[in-house]
Amino acid sequence: MTTVSLTDVASYLPGEPVPAEFYTDFPGAEDKLRNHPMFKVPRLRHHVARDETNADMIERAVQSLVDRHGAAEIRGVDVLLVHSQLPDLPFVGAGTEVTRRLGLHPEWLVDVANAGCASFVYMLKMARQILTSTDAKTALICNAQSAAGQWFTQSEVRKLAQAAIPGDGCGVGYVTTSAQSPVLDVESRHIGEYAGDMTVAVDDGRKYWEPGKSQLRIGFTDASVAKVLARGNRLVPEVVNSLCRRLGMASTDIDVLITNQPNRTFLRNWREALQLPAERHLNTFDECGNLFGAAIPVTLDRAISSRRVKDGDLMVLGGFAHAGDFAGAVAVRWHGGRD
Amino acid sequence: MSQESSTLADIPGLVRIENAGKEELTAHCMELTHSVYPHHQVYGQYCTIHEYVDCPPEQAYDYLRQGHHLEEWTCSLRDFAPTGTPGLWVGHDRLEDDTRIYCKVLANPEAMTVDYHCSWDQGEKLWMIYLMRVVPARLVLDKPGSVITWTNCRHPYYDDNPRPDLAPRPDRPWVGDYWDLFYAGHTVEMHNLKAILEHRHRGGLPVGSAPARTVAR
Repeated sequence: MTTVSLTDVASYLPGEPVPAEFYTDFPGAEDKLRNHPMFKVPRLRHHVARDETNADMIERAVQSLVDRHGAAEIRGVDVLLVHSQLPDLPFVGAGTEVTRRLGLHPEWLVDVANAGCASFVYMLKMARQILTSTDAKTALICNAQSAAGQWFTQSEVRKLAQAAIPGDGCGVGYVTTSAQSPVLDVESRHIGEYAGDMTVAVDDGRKYWEPGKSQLRIGFTDASVAKVLARGNRLVPEVVNSLCRRLGMASTDIDVLITNQPNRTFLRNWREALQLPAERHLNTFDECGNLFGAAIPVTLDRAISSRRVKDGDLMVLGGFAHAGDFAGAVAVRWHGGRD
Repeated sequence: MSQESSTLADIPGLVRIENAGKEELTAHCMELTHSVYPHHQVYGQYCTIHEYVDCPPEQAYDYLRQGHHLEEWTCSLRDFAPTGTPGLWVGHDRLEDDTRIYCKVLANPEAMTVDYHCSWDQGEKLWMIYLMRVVPARLVLDKPGSVITWTNCRHPYYDDNPRPDLAPRPDRPWVGDYWDLFYAGHTVEMHNLKAILEHRHRGGLPVGSAPARTVAR
């Protein structure tokens, strides 16, 4: 069987870092939850500019891959997979626009609209499958997240405790048929029973596209937040443990764990459940907030740049999506140093 | 403000809907919720276990309240005989050679609680206490049968034998050395209890049995 590697990753964060005060000092800001770890405000986050699109961010992130691997290599990718957390258009993903910007001619192009915060894992699985079973040799997988600067900065939503948590950013992965940094295995689960539990909340009950005054936000009742917490607590350790079992390893053999980062409570619970010390569970929560689907590739890129991933490390990337409708984890043996 | 709440206002650290609010309460509880808990955090100071048993609660209670049945469902308590003191029995804990265990049963039929007050080596101070309760499963699980709970608390004597002079030999291990295995050991015994009660109830047999000895040797 062809070996497929996660050869490289790159990332882009829009604009200057936005301090916590942008939210906490906003008139009418909820402050009673600020001291709770679930809602404790990250020090910084980034926001997309008003006219900045998913394709813009992907283009900027991919530029680093072009710089390191050459324009011809990247332009020649056979597969393009794109996940946009907040699509700029409701009827088409960013994929084809990305091909136009980057001058790509992929045989395979999928705008992935599922697997949310863990979609990097799922796209890596799909890329590996395509590269293993067809003539395709290289793939680009992209995660763009632009909800923070657009949804959570709205005048009413900005006051909510949840608004200060998200951040925008983009992470991309370059996947090739090589044995350099092999993808060892992937565990993924689509969990239909939890579908639809995460909603777009509008106070006046209109369709999101209908005119009205209510401001879009992510909807959770208290009860469903508790359920999502319980599911998240369980799902991520479950898929990571299951992956480790298949590889004949223990969770404690993981050198670098990178997950999605909804809040500090999940980060704490996952590393506790997997019996990993904090220094082996890397995150960018304080600087970037909840990056949704972009968290895994952005954190990974920054970890590699800052040499927190060592040659030969067993790296596990994992997470869950939405209210628990997807969970996945992938293991990579990392030999992708940037010298 | 009611008189009650004004007296509560002087007590620091209370978390009540009046001062926390619903959202804050939820957030606080979420913070207290982990994916996993270390064994010592759950079973370090108290050891509570529970089991569903498909046997009517009255019969389960009746079985537990008769101390001689300990010889059936526990792993190592055997050969109980009356002491000179009414209600106090002495037997062997075969966990260790030549180790005597004293036991008194305090049962409450209304609450269906059965507490075994025990100790090794001496019967003057019964400090090793097993608190059991039978709850009708119909009430809590909406099905027939019983839920049985069982709690032990870590009395200081578990960590420090008050009468080492009464040990049969100086190197005899102390019961408290096993504290970290209580969850496991008691679970094994609870499974024995469940198996006995369910087997007899299912077969239409009396769940209890006659004491092996009715007179002291």
